[in-house]
Parts: sequence; C-alpha cells; structure tokens
Amino acid sequence: MNSESQSQRQESDRLEKKNWFIAIFARPEIGPLGVMILLFGLLGYFSIPEGEFSLNPFAGEGFNALGIRNNFRVIAQLGIVALGAGLLIIAGEFDLSVGSMIGFAGGCMAMILKWGFAIVIPYISFQGGFHFEGLKIFEITDVSPLTAILITLCMTLSFGWFQGWVIVKSGIASFIVTLGGLFFLRGLTEVCYRAFNRAPDQTAGSTTVTDLPDIKNIINVPGHGEMERDAAKALPNEDLLEILSNVPAQTVAKLTEQLSYINEKVAANKTAIQAKKMVETLEKSLAGAKESGNESMVEILTKKIEAGVEVPAVAAKAVTDLDIAKAYIDTIYTARPVANFFGGDILEPVFDWLYFTADWNVNMFGNQFAKGMYSCLMIWLILALVCYFVLSRTQAGNWIYSTGGNLNAAKANGVPTNKVKISLFMFTAFCATMFAACQVFEVNTADTAKGNLKELEAIAAAVIGGVVLTGGFGSILGIILGTIIFGIAKEAFFYIPGIDGSFYRVFLGAVLVSAALTNENIRKRIMGSI
Amino acid sequence: MNENKKPLIEINNLVKRFGSFIALNGVSLDVYPGEVHALLGDNGAGKSTLIKVLAGVHPKTSGVISIEGKEVDFSTPRQATDVGIGTVYQDLALNALTSVTRNFFLGREIKKGPGPFGVMQMKEMNEITISEMAKIGINISNPEQPVGTMSGGQRQTLAIARAIYFGAKILILDEPTSALGQKQQMEVLKTIKRVQRLGHIAIILITHNEIHARLIADRYTFLSLGEVIGKGMAEELGGDDIKKLMAGGAEIGDLRDELGA
Ligand SMILES: Nc1ncnc2c1ncn2[C@@H]1O[C@H](COP(=O)(O)OP(=O)(O)OP(=O)(O)O)[C@@H](O)[C@H]1O
Ligand SMILES: [Mg+2]
Repeated sequence: MNSESQSQRQESDRLEKKNWFIAIFARPEIGPLGVMILLFGLLGYFSIPEGEFSLNPFAGEGFNALGIRNNFRVIAQLGIVALGAGLLIIAGEFDLSVGSMIGFAGGCMAMILKWGFAIVIPYISFQGGFHFEGLKIFEITDVSPLTAILITLCMTLSFGWFQGWVIVKSGIASFIVTLGGLFFLRGLTEVCYRAFNRAPDQTAGSTTVTDLPDIKNIINVPGHGEMERDAAKALPNEDLLEILSNVPAQTVAKLTEQLSYINEKVAANKTAIQAKKMVETLEKSLAGAKESGNESMVEILTKKIEAGVEVPAVAAKAVTDLDIAKAYIDTIYTARPVANFFGGDILEPVFDWLYFTADWNVNMFGNQFAKGMYSCLMIWLILALVCYFVLSRTQAGNWIYSTGGNLNAAKANGVPTNKVKISLFMFTAFCATMFAACQVFEVNTADTAKGNLKELEAIAAAVIGGVVLTGGFGSILGIILGTIIFGIAKEAFFYIPGIDGSFYRVFLGAVLVSAALTNENIRKRIMGSI
Repeated sequence: MNENKKPLIEINNLVKRFGSFIALNGVSLDVYPGEVHALLGDNGAGKSTLIKVLAGVHPKTSGVISIEGKEVDFSTPRQATDVGIGTVYQDLALNALTSVTRNFFLGREIKKGPGPFGVMQMKEMNEITISEMAKIGINISNPEQPVGTMSGGQRQTLAIARAIYFGAKILILDEPTSALGQKQQMEVLKTIKRVQRLGHIAIILITHNEIHARLIADRYTFLSLGEVIGKGMAEELGGDDIKKLMAGGAEIGDLRDELGA
C-alpha cells in the first residue's frame, strides 16, 4: 500500500504550490521596491514645511508639481543610460565609456547645429612650408535637429560597434577597452571644442557651446515667419495686436478666461501674503511691547491680533490684448518637432488641468508651477518599454540572457553571441546619444563635462535594481526601480533636517553593496549552489 | 545482429592537431543506428577532442567524416546540428539561470515576427518541452523553473531531449554520468536506453565508468594518446579486456591479436 503510493509520486508533486503572498515576496524586485518606497516616504514627509502637519506625503515640497517635474528629469536622464548599461551587464559586459560618450555626443550635436557638418580629407602640403591642408569633399550648413542627431548617431554607433568588435575579437576585458574609450572620447571632445571654438587670432577656444538658438521654441508666427517664441513675444505692440486680430474669436475667449483666472489667483495670493506679513509685523511689535513692559500697548496689540487683520484685497490685474497676444504665442506649436521631442515638455494639458481645474500645481505667487514634465521622461519610458519587451519576450532577449549566463552554452547552441554583444555596445552608445540629445535641446548649450560619472551611476542603478555583474541575471523592472532609487536619494536626503545632504552618497554606497550581496545570493540559489 | 545495417556515421583516419600537438592521430570508427557506441580511454586520450571535431567546434586537420555515406565538413556547430549531430557536452551547454523551456529552445526559439525580435511563443514552447522530456522518461513539474534548480539527471535528460527534438540522428554524450549520484546515474542510463530503443538514433557514449559501459553499450572503441588501440562488439569483449584497454592498453600487442582487430 505504502510503496504503491510511493511509486505513484510524480516529480510534479514535489513542487509546493506557492500562494500569491509568498510568490510576490520571492520576486527579486521586492528589495529595491521597498527601498524606493522608503525613500519616497522620506522625501514626502521631510519636505512638508515646518509647522504644518499632514499624513499625506504628497503635501511636501518634494512632491509638489515642480518637485515632481525636476526629480523625474534626474531619474529619466539616468534611466536612459541605465537601460543600456543594464542590458549590457546582463549579457556579461561593461561599458565605462557611457559618460564620455554623452559628452562627445552632446558636443557633436551642438557643434553641428552651430557650425554645420563637413567631411574633410587632410593632406600634407609643402607649399609655403610644411603644414596640413584640408580638402572639403562634403559640407552642409544650417543643419536641422534631426540631421544633427543622425550624424551624431552615425559616429557614436560606429564607436560603440568598434569597442564591441575589439572586445569580442580580442577577448580583452571590456573594462579595459571601454576605460580606454572613456579617456579617448573625453579627450577627443575637449580637443574638438577648443579647435572649433578657436578665435580668429588662433588662441584656444572655450570648451563650451553656449549661444545656440532655443531651437525647440522656434515657431511659425503668422505674418512674421519663423522666430523664437521669446522674440515673438517681444515684437512691437502693433505687430502683436495684428497677430491677435487674426486669431479666431473662440481661442481669444478661452485665452481671456484663462488669463483672468490667473490674474485673480495671483491677486488672491498677494492679498494672503500681505495679510500674513501684517500679522508678522503685529506679532513683532507685540513682542517688543512685552519686552519694554508697555502694558497698554500689549493690550491693544493682542486685541488687534485676536480680531484678525483685514487687508484691502489686491485687485486682479485686467487682461489686456497684449497679454492675450503673448498667451496666444505661447500656444503656437513648435516648428521644430524633433528638437521639441527631445528637449521640450510633455503632458502640458495635464499640468494645465492641474492648475486651472484641480487647483493644485500653483506656486506661492498664484502662477502655474510646472508647465509639464520634461520630454526625457517620455524617451526613458519608451526605451524601457522596448527593452522590457525585447528582454522578456523575444528571441533576442533569450540570447542576451544566455550570452551573459553561460557564454559557451550559448555558443554551442548557435547563439550569435558576438553579434549580441556588439549590438548591445551599440545600444549603450545609442542610449548615451539619446541622453545627450535630451540635454542639448533642453538647455541649448553643451560642454565637455557633460555626462561625467554617468557610466558608474548607470552601473550602480542597474546593480541596485538586481542586475548581477557577472551577467545572465536581471530585469528591466529592476533596473527601473534601481534608477528611481538612485535618482531620488539625493533629493530625499536634502530634506531630512539636521543631517548633511551628502549622506545620500553614504546611503547609496551601503544600498549598492547590500543589493550586490542580495543579488549574488539569489543567483547562487538559482544556480543550485545553495 | 547489426551485420546488415549500414553505419550512420563513418569516421576514417581522422587527424586533429592543435599546433604541433597531435590530439588525434588517424582515428577511425563507425556508429550504427539504434546502437550505443562506447568511446573509452584514459584522461587526455582525445575523446572530447574527437567529439568536438564531430560537433563542428574544432575543424579537423585531415581525414574523412561521412554521414549516411555522404562526406561532410563542418566549420561551425550549426552545420553539424543541421546534418543531425546532436552533442551533449560535459557541461551540458545549459544556462542555469534561465528556465527549462528557454534552455530547451536556446538558439532555436519558436517565434513570430522579424528576425531576433520575433516574439517567443512561450506557451507552445512550454508544451513541447514538457512532452519531449516525458518521452524519454522525466516529468518536469514546471517548465518555467530555472535549470539551476534541476537535479543533475534532469539536466542530462533536458540536454538529450533537446538534441533529439532538434533532429539529432547521431547523439553524442560526453561523460553523462560523471557528476551524478548513484540513483541519477541509473536514471540517465535508462534515458539512454530509451533513446536506443527508438531505433533510428546512433549514440556515441563517452564514459570512464566500465560498469555503465557494460550495461548499455553495443560496441566499443578504445582510444589512447590519440589513437585507436582496440575495438569490438560487446559480446566479443570480456571484462578484463575492457579494463585493460580503458587504462590505455597495458598489453596492447596481445590484445590486438586476441580481438582480431
Ligand atoms: N583546444 C586545445 N588546444 C590545445 N590542446 C588541446 C585542446 N583541447 C584539448 N587539447 C589536448 O588534447 C588532448 C586530448 O584532450 P581531450 O579533452 O580530448 O581528452 P579526453 O579524452 O576527453 O580526456 P578526459 O577523459 O579527461 O575528458 C589533451 O592532452 C588536451 O590537453
Ligand atoms: Mg573529456
């Protein structure tokens, strides 16, 4: 009897059915998720202004509209490169050249936008003494944002390909080859800046490009052609009124309504600020009176404060036609959608709604706080979605995991591991270029220091998110969590009273190492060695 | 019993050099369908090298390999699998960190869509994995479980099932029992026996375990220092002969006469 039931026991009976609770807590992402929630809590509660009390962490400054806008910009920018770095680590390699690649790509883009692009063949000339001459075989000036990005991509992807090729063909550790890339690209970028910025008298130029136009804000103003938004708003009054005269009445009505809403809001906030100031003045005098023992004065002031102060309401500014014209110019859609895609804002309607309807997104003067989220957030999320899909659902994903998990096994089963690695080196270069495009088109400047240390931050974010440095293990969800942790830590620690802001680095260092220990533990458990 | 059968794979005078080092010096052997051919020999005899040449990992230096009478020459492992050589390496070529199914289909994923960005058909792949493993005797509980959590015997079965599913007519097993416990060794031998009974698959088995060889081998070839020092059918060989030959053939001359090879 007993032996019969024994022999009918199947392998499948040995796996205990896990309930959902255990299943959730067994996921490797659970650790990073916990740290992330902790940081959000710290940021939320400690950024609540002194003297106010709230159970809602979103009442804090860290989570007001501007806080969200700025924090997610830091996170998204790091996130873009962390995705590339993470995938590459899963495939068993490193790229330390990411940071320099960001500087290089940003420099390329800015310089191409400013001076154009040319292919020059150098040769040695002896006419009038030994010197180099250049033969220009191709030149474009007045380059569009898209072309600038594409030319830059050609260069960065080739460099990524070259690094990958050297690594897979030679078998040299990617650490060394990309460390070389780190120095090479940073140096090359500096050299290029100085050379192209050179003054006519041949003194070395600066290592920045600053006077680019605000490309994403170039708009087509009716009757005036293309110009920057700010320039359009600074047009002579008669021109502005002329522009307004061609705007449909419905739009004008809507803009008027919005502007008067804003003006009323501003007036109301001004009144409130004045009342607050008045009370403060009274309280100060009261304290003074108490000190000097002026009994009657104390009495009068106390009564006055108790009665509450009445300040005359500040009248709302009237909406003028010029205001409407300028507001209209603000609504004109960009004539450079590519620049706007990388450097502009997204979710503006949502943030407008939050201001006009939800009455949130209001700064202390009554104006709209944030206009939207930075575009890099969208680019990060798009990239993350694509990476998630590729890594978890496609054949390429299985190849990436196996290339990092067991290179020889992957090779023996016909996985083109060299191609996988080279493609991923190109992908990190691609991510660095996207990062650079977001920066250049957002701030319209570039300099050599851009992207400094980003390669290490990206690796740290991936590791905190559960990626194992020896390869083969990790997930996109984890990388996203790791990025948020890395991006938010500085902000959260900034608000904790009584401690030095730099403690965030101490915290991140500890989190990084414990994450690495946990990851290694999980990996060993899966490998069957525990 | 196999007199009228044609060999599935014939190897003639195969030479493999690594630089000036002669790893294989004119090795010949024939393997028949439905038979287990034991390849025996001491450490460093060249067994692994021989199967790596057959698997397309190393190019041969000279000699002839023919499959079903046709001469073949491989420069990549892919070409070897394409003509039906399925190799189960000592390390099994498994990625312990990913699932059973992902390993089963590694490099040959069923997918819909363009190139490597095609979407893997996980459900179909899971089903095939379970049924193929069951065919040679192992019921796996969860095809999504990481291979690292499987037992050594299960991993062997996975690697063998994978090779057969992807059209292996010649199954090469490099020391499949070496790293296993007693019970799992027997499981693997049973699995090999089942594959043998399928009838159309020729199996080359490398082992250092004489008992295992005696349990399932139909034919033997003994290698020493890169050369064949003896071969024969299971019926013709006594236990002592096998022991001696496995150790590199202490009395090669005598044995040659005895075996009439
Ligand atoms: N890639 C290589 N380069 C140079 N020499 C090699 C290479 N591969 C194997 N050899 C040598 O060839 C000889 C045969 O090795 P092989 O691995 O085939 O032995 P084996 O019979 O499988 O031994 P074992 O029973 O220990 O697995 C050894 O001396 C080994 O050092
Ligand atoms: Mg061997």
